[in-house]
Amino acid sequence: MITKSAELVKHAEQKFPARLTKSLASFAALREGYITDARDRLEEYDLWAKALSEANSHIAVDKEEIAAATDAYNEVADYLAANLSWPHESISIKPQGSVSTKTLIRSPNGSEKFDIDAVCKIDISQIEADNPVSFFESIGQALKELEAQPKRRCWKIPFTGRRFYLEFTPSIPLNTVSEQTLHSMAPRYSVSRYGETALAVVDMPTESWKTSNSEGMSKWVNDTSERRLIRTIAMEAHAYDRAAASVSPVPDQTVDITDTLRVAIRLFKRHRDMCARRGIIDADTKPISVIIVTLLTSCYEGLADLNRSFEHPVELLDELATLMPHLVLELDGKYRVDNPTVEGENFAEKWNDDGGDRYKSFMDWTSALSADLQTILAEKDPQAISKSVRYVFGISPPTGGGNSLTNLQPPAPRATPASRGLA
Amino acid sequence: MALDLSSLCEQFPDLQLPALSREGGATAYQLRLPLFQDGREFKWAELRLPKGFPKYGKAFIQLSPDSVLRIPHLDRAGVLCNEGDPGPGLGYSSEDRIKFVLHGYLEQFLKPWLNGDLDGEFENETLNYWAIAVAKARSKTDAVRGVWTIDSPPTKARVRSGLLLIPNRIIIAADEQLRITNRLVQSMGPAAKQRVRVLVADIPISHAFTPSTWPRSMSDLERILQGRLTSADYSRLQHSRRGRGMHRVVLLRNSEVSFAYLLPGGPPTILDVYRGKKTSPSLHKPLPLMTSRLDPDWTVGRDQHPEISGRQAKHVLVLGVGALGSPIVDHIAKAGVGRISVVDADTMSSANIGRHLLGADSIGQNKVDAIAQRINLAYPATEVTPYAMSTTEWLKKNTLVDVDVVLDLTGEPDVRVQIEQVRLSYPCPLLIGWMEPYVAAAHACMLPAGQKWLKGAQDPLSYLEAVVWPSDVILQEPGCSSRFQSYTAAAAEHAVALVAECSLEMIDNSATVTSDSSVRSWVRGQRFLDKHWPGLTHKEWAKAASVYDGLILNRQFP
Repeated sequence: MITKSAELVKHAEQKFPARLTKSLASFAALREGYITDARDRLEEYDLWAKALSEANSHIAVDKEEIAAATDAYNEVADYLAANLSWPHESISIKPQGSVSTKTLIRSPNGSEKFDIDAVCKIDISQIEADNPVSFFESIGQALKELEAQPKRRCWKIPFTGRRFYLEFTPSIPLNTVSEQTLHSMAPRYSVSRYGETALAVVDMPTESWKTSNSEGMSKWVNDTSERRLIRTIAMEAHAYDRAAASVSPVPDQTVDITDTLRVAIRLFKRHRDMCARRGIIDADTKPISVIIVTLLTSCYEGLADLNRSFEHPVELLDELATLMPHLVLELDGKYRVDNPTVEGENFAEKWNDDGGDRYKSFMDWTSALSADLQTILAEKDPQAISKSVRYVFGISPPTGGGNSLTNLQPPAPRATPASRGLA
Repeated sequence: MALDLSSLCEQFPDLQLPALSREGGATAYQLRLPLFQDGREFKWAELRLPKGFPKYGKAFIQLSPDSVLRIPHLDRAGVLCNEGDPGPGLGYSSEDRIKFVLHGYLEQFLKPWLNGDLDGEFENETLNYWAIAVAKARSKTDAVRGVWTIDSPPTKARVRSGLLLIPNRIIIAADEQLRITNRLVQSMGPAAKQRVRVLVADIPISHAFTPSTWPRSMSDLERILQGRLTSADYSRLQHSRRGRGMHRVVLLRNSEVSFAYLLPGGPPTILDVYRGKKTSPSLHKPLPLMTSRLDPDWTVGRDQHPEISGRQAKHVLVLGVGALGSPIVDHIAKAGVGRISVVDADTMSSANIGRHLLGADSIGQNKVDAIAQRINLAYPATEVTPYAMSTTEWLKKNTLVDVDVVLDLTGEPDVRVQIEQVRLSYPCPLLIGWMEPYVAAAHACMLPAGQKWLKGAQDPLSYLEAVVWPSDVILQEPGCSSRFQSYTAAAAEHAVALVAECSLEMIDNSATVTSDSSVRSWVRGQRFLDKHWPGLTHKEWAKAASVYDGLILNRQFP
């Protein structure tokens, strides 16, 4: 039986999108098979892989920073538990979103905060569950001293003075809400894959429970990312290089973008942010991360389900960028990006009632992405590739060397310089 | 002038002798550069001593042209802008001054640059860098020299029509549908002889651009236009190029910054040159342009005065534009009041020059006409309507129905009585402002709508004054029957400031019901009184001022 993701990929392929590298002269040797030796082919691919890997590590938020944020939300969890009337053991707090999928990225301006999403699950009684609004408010009340601000489904804690802010989504186990209540309030939603982690969260605008499965979503991304799409022959060649390093020291250039799904998610999200910075898309209608994650993961999963294979991550990135725009479904005149873990939830719901602004943003972004990736892949000179990658993804050049410079003792401190008057 | 830098070279071996000479008589010493990481390199750096150093000028560091707009804190010429040479006159030796420069170069620039600590700095002064880009691209034959905006950025990108003003070559990014456009065109006078219609793609941006994010080519701009404009707007902009050869401008802005480009493909530029005209073809690539904001929020209050939008909607009636009234009209116009009607039958005479807003160039003109002309030209946020007639005549022809605040600055008892009558039918806040002889004191009496001025048949003006005036203080002007006191414009400035501030308070609060009427007074001290007339004394309530040079006092209106 063909899986849904495989179906999506097949559907996208029916539109015959051309690979970005299809007509690039820089790629002819690889594409036409002029280079036959596996190691030579890898070296050729590594021209681009090196620069892309550099960009990937520049935008990823490092483990230490995430750990600091994790400590902070654990503190908030304890604080919350102490301030809520429910017993301690009935409260659990887990990260969700990009933290749990390891696809958190920095903002183009390094000084901006990144957001950490956490879901806080509380086992409450069925009677209490009859009133979602008061449940939501009680969490806000308990977080009052942290200056929590209510949003659609979560409480945002600003954390003045730290590098991040937290978004806490109050939730309860799905089975707490009676089938009937859930059905009457949000009839379209039901659990799909990863059902064991499904939750009910409060949707404040409609004052009702909605099914959510952020843990399932993370698990789906993490499970999918582990599936192999790169051909073994390439892997073997790498392994051979490593073993024979003393003989032929090539692997110096070999870099790790084999975690290709996550690399694609990070780079594409960053590219979207840069497009907003450059004014190419409107920051208010730019594609939301969960749509990018869903499309890329579906695409990756579909390719794996169809037993496709690629000889290098760069080739796979090309394929993902080529297919991604065509994975958005248009059914009965409505755009659909389905949440694979919650049946009936359409991440692109807003696209259908905004006069086409978000769809246009998405398409403008994907075409800019394709064009930019083509510019990069059209280069063959390593320096030109690096320059191009840095420009496209808004990455500063590598750093270092400053501390080893000479020191020069300055003359005795100057008198306080005269200050300016207003004029 | 030969400096011996050899001992400095021992402490700082990267400083290389010998001295080289550079343009403008400057002396240069090359600096040995470290090994750069890919992307952080620049070709050279030099310590430069200007001609006349150390007596004149300051030493500085100059970097090669390839570093401009790639590396922050450099000006257009590649000169490093940081704290360096303290300059002559502060007692430092030449060697110490150079040491400061080299130390600053190392610690504030080179090391942080190599370590990536300056990477975010372009964002901080983004318009300074834009000015460099504009200056680099500028030429004398450019069809447009700058873009003026007069409204807030739109929430959604759109194409609108604008005006290119010739020979000034300024584009106003709006058309005549906004009244302020016309006022700006008027104020340019002969510099805006000709208006040419242009198309402006007005696109809101979420972030200020930096040299690495602003559009660098037509294809970068094309991407933005395609991405942000509706297809109808996009084709309107495209179509115009093939049609009549209209100029097209892309304006990218938010509430803090704006960037503009003139697109290639416009009509040729025709410039007046010596004995004729010179035609230059349109550009081949987009021309970056500086923008100026001429909207009231900026021109009046640099975005720091939210009350301006309220003032813009107000209509203020000013009676009397003499030595007090004329500068006050100027002040409330500067403060952003949208409409001012000025009433005065007087013409400008030579006796007024020393203390009036107007000068000798207006002698013989109606004061109101000259004031209206002057302010309408200078402050686009305000529209002044002149009425060259007495208050009596004005009141015969007009009512206070659309007036928000009345300022009576005539000092005339008859006017006060007439306004009192009219306010019975049209309750309206009223400010009465006047000065005492020599501007020894000045008063602003603020009466909310419904509060009367007269106490029965009694006019309380003299009662409210601060100084006991002997009758012989008032002089008669030769050949004229009006009261005349000698005072300087500087002394009157205090009165003007007091009354102008009170007027603005009333204008800002005119919609809210204020409970109390009050009098605010500026009172000079005894020293000032003694200087002007022997034996002058303060009234009891004003005695507090006597030990000071001047004091502002607040009272309830009795």
